[in-house]
Amino acid sequence: MTKAADRDGLFVAVCLIVPLFCLAVFFLYPLSMVALRSITQPDGSIGIGNFAVILSSPNFWRAALHSLAMSGMTTAVVLLLGLVVAFALHRCRIPGGALVMAAVLLPLLMPSLVQGLGLIFLLGRNGLLTKASGIEINIYGFWGLVIANGLYALPQAVLIISAALRSADARIYEAAEILGTSGWRQFRDLTLPNIKFGLLSAGFVVFTVTITDFGNAATIGGDYSILATEIYNQVVGQMNFNLGAVVGIMLLFPTVLAFYLERVASQRQFGGGSDSAVPIVPRFTPRRDVPMTVVAWLIALMPVVTVGVVVFASFVWLWPYRFDLTLRHYAVKVAGGYDPLWTTVTISCWAGLIGTALIFALGVALQRMPRGLVKPIYFFCMLPAAVPGLVLGLSYIFAFNAPNTPLYFLYGTAILIALCNIFHYWTQGFLTTMTGLRLVAASLQETAACLGASLPRVMRDVVAPHVAPTIVSVFFFLFMQSMVTLSAVIFLITASVSVASVSIMRLDEAGFTSQAAAYATCTMGVVIAASILLRLLLALLRRKTRA
Amino acid sequence: MRTFLKACVFSLLMGTTAAHAGTVTAYTALEEDEIAEYVAAAKTALPGIDLKVLRLSTGDLGARILAEASNPQHDVIWGWAVTNMMDPRVLALLAPYKAKGADKLAAPYRAADDKWFAATGYMAAFCVNNERIKSKGLPTPKDWADLLDPKLKGEVVMPNPVSSGTGYLQIVGILQQMGDEKGWKFLKDLDANVAQYIKSGSRPCKAARAGEFAVGASLAFAAIQSIQEGFPVTMVIPASGAGFELEASALMTSSKNKADAEKFLDWTLSPEAAVIYGKYKEIVTIPGVKPAAASEKAGLPADVTKVLLPIDFAKSAVERNAILERWQKEIGR
Repeated sequence: MTKAADRDGLFVAVCLIVPLFCLAVFFLYPLSMVALRSITQPDGSIGIGNFAVILSSPNFWRAALHSLAMSGMTTAVVLLLGLVVAFALHRCRIPGGALVMAAVLLPLLMPSLVQGLGLIFLLGRNGLLTKASGIEINIYGFWGLVIANGLYALPQAVLIISAALRSADARIYEAAEILGTSGWRQFRDLTLPNIKFGLLSAGFVVFTVTITDFGNAATIGGDYSILATEIYNQVVGQMNFNLGAVVGIMLLFPTVLAFYLERVASQRQFGGGSDSAVPIVPRFTPRRDVPMTVVAWLIALMPVVTVGVVVFASFVWLWPYRFDLTLRHYAVKVAGGYDPLWTTVTISCWAGLIGTALIFALGVALQRMPRGLVKPIYFFCMLPAAVPGLVLGLSYIFAFNAPNTPLYFLYGTAILIALCNIFHYWTQGFLTTMTGLRLVAASLQETAACLGASLPRVMRDVVAPHVAPTIVSVFFFLFMQSMVTLSAVIFLITASVSVASVSIMRLDEAGFTSQAAAYATCTMGVVIAASILLRLLLALLRRKTRA
Repeated sequence: MRTFLKACVFSLLMGTTAAHAGTVTAYTALEEDEIAEYVAAAKTALPGIDLKVLRLSTGDLGARILAEASNPQHDVIWGWAVTNMMDPRVLALLAPYKAKGADKLAAPYRAADDKWFAATGYMAAFCVNNERIKSKGLPTPKDWADLLDPKLKGEVVMPNPVSSGTGYLQIVGILQQMGDEKGWKFLKDLDANVAQYIKSGSRPCKAARAGEFAVGASLAFAAIQSIQEGFPVTMVIPASGAGFELEASALMTSSKNKADAEKFLDWTLSPEAAVIYGKYKEIVTIPGVKPAAASEKAGLPADVTKVLLPIDFAKSAVERNAILERWQKEIGR
């Protein structure tokens, strides 16, 4: 017995130490280099001079206010829409649920640059909808940013809220039903409190990823300056990394605050999985399901139209003047051709596999840790979301382009790009996993352990099947984001190793907008093909294990 | 510390020369389609050299070069805005090298200390959308001053000088041409008509060609490319003169393969390279190169030097922070 306990202890230790080691080396260490830059003054001495410069600049405060307003608004809208979609998918009977989910996920398949283009194609001053309606609205600015960032953040919110809604005990709802509780009250008093953790996590993620995103601000933000553009102005516009680093550090503060609020609020969480939970199979209730269907389909329409117009534009001779169809934009000869696309697939597979394994291991270990220990680890897992890609990418150069360090051999390799992607999107994967793991009943695991199952076996046979959908969605999230992310990897590509999103950006910069759209469409095609292939494989595996 | 670094570099050199004999890595901000042709020609001319090229936009490349400064990964900088090159932190990384043919360049196109030379350059121009001009009944601007026309209110887009080098060269052009007092007043008057200060230099042209705005103050290259693609765009070079930027090349002190890097730099000034420059570039500093037919068709004069403003690059580099600060205070949004 003690031997088994030892072995389980070792298993937990490995599950804890390996991910934490990676988090320290590939996130905290590079971030510390940024912190160091932020306090390195122009004359090379250490001090708070840079902070004084930034904090006394009215531009900074205006950008900060803009950022808070924009991210706050986006978070409110996305949480509401995300809850509606996730609820419709998991607690209602709506036709074409899988299609709605796929539609909502679409924006994850395109670089934000291309999505911004899509919105301009639709709603710009010369956009399709603008011309059709005859109303010239000004999309550039606050509302353009809210829409673009909302589209980008919605799938992330839906993933996390879905993980929370996926399991609940149907018997509680049956009891409520028998007591004559109305559907609305069931939602308010049972569902909402139960998914509070998921909602808060989703809100946290939406807020932080939108406050750090630069891609949308560059295309559709117009003159609406936000903190991410302030960083860009300093670092890229004026080659002043240290001042940019200060703004990057300042961006951590709203995140720390949001983290604290989320923690305080989620302490009164109740529920969690129970061993004998009966999964909910929603019955068709017209009064609830008909409106939910309409709303869910309407919400799903927005990403479909935005992405669809980009795909359409890639087949059009000359957008928006000559609408004859052509394949000429698909003959991409510059910007490295299609080779980077295949490099990106490899990088993304690695990012998905390694990332999911690390996050799942850490999640398992954290469930077996005392609360006091969990808190700081949790905090460090929240930080990556608050670091803008541009800052993360540059921090990797500072950290790993140092010949006298043991990890120098990674510099300039595809694997470093994969690692960078993992930690860029670590928070979202981590929160989704934790939300999913919470729902596996502790008593179930204990029972299995009492029956003599080793911890690795409990993981494999009890926990993994329960959270399999969550694990798969985390893998896909990391895979998809690695396929399209731009802001960090742009600093890590080399003359020999490049990725698809950089090719798309280069095509757009060179003025080949339609070729950029074509390239983005190909990238999306590859991701969709890969997803279908993997789902088929999983289905095959499942059938085999059952047989 | 320095000897330790040297030892590191040396040991690396030992490791890498064997594996990568003849590899030259170039960081460049030249335009996408031209690079493909230059590289093909350079590889034929220099068969012993394995030329590797990383292309990033001017700003991204600057961040990259400075971030890697402690251990540069490239041998040469090839075609990068001279205003950025003149940053003291960048100059400190460069080794003086008298490239073959550099002596033929006029004085403003090479550094006195041989740290850089510029074979090509690009210039500011307006992209005017003919369809939007026609449908809104607007006048076609011929010069910066025409952009003040109240009819163009909300129809002009410019690059933001704080984030874009092109934006900076445009306002420096205006300030150096008109003088400080008049120049700043003009920029403020212009501000009333500007719909947006866009983050990059070529994007205003893209916004104008897509019909989002009537006039995009951008680059001649972007205008020519748009016209070639078939967009209803007219290129307008400001009648009183256009601001411009030089694309400078330089050798890195840290290069582990200086012999080949130098051969490549020599090639960038060769008559063979000059012929290809003529196909793409508005500004070629190598004497005797004519602009391409497509550029002339798009409205580029045969002798561009006549329309270029006399820009003082050293002054523009020194005053950069002060000008941008003032711009942000008085105009920036």
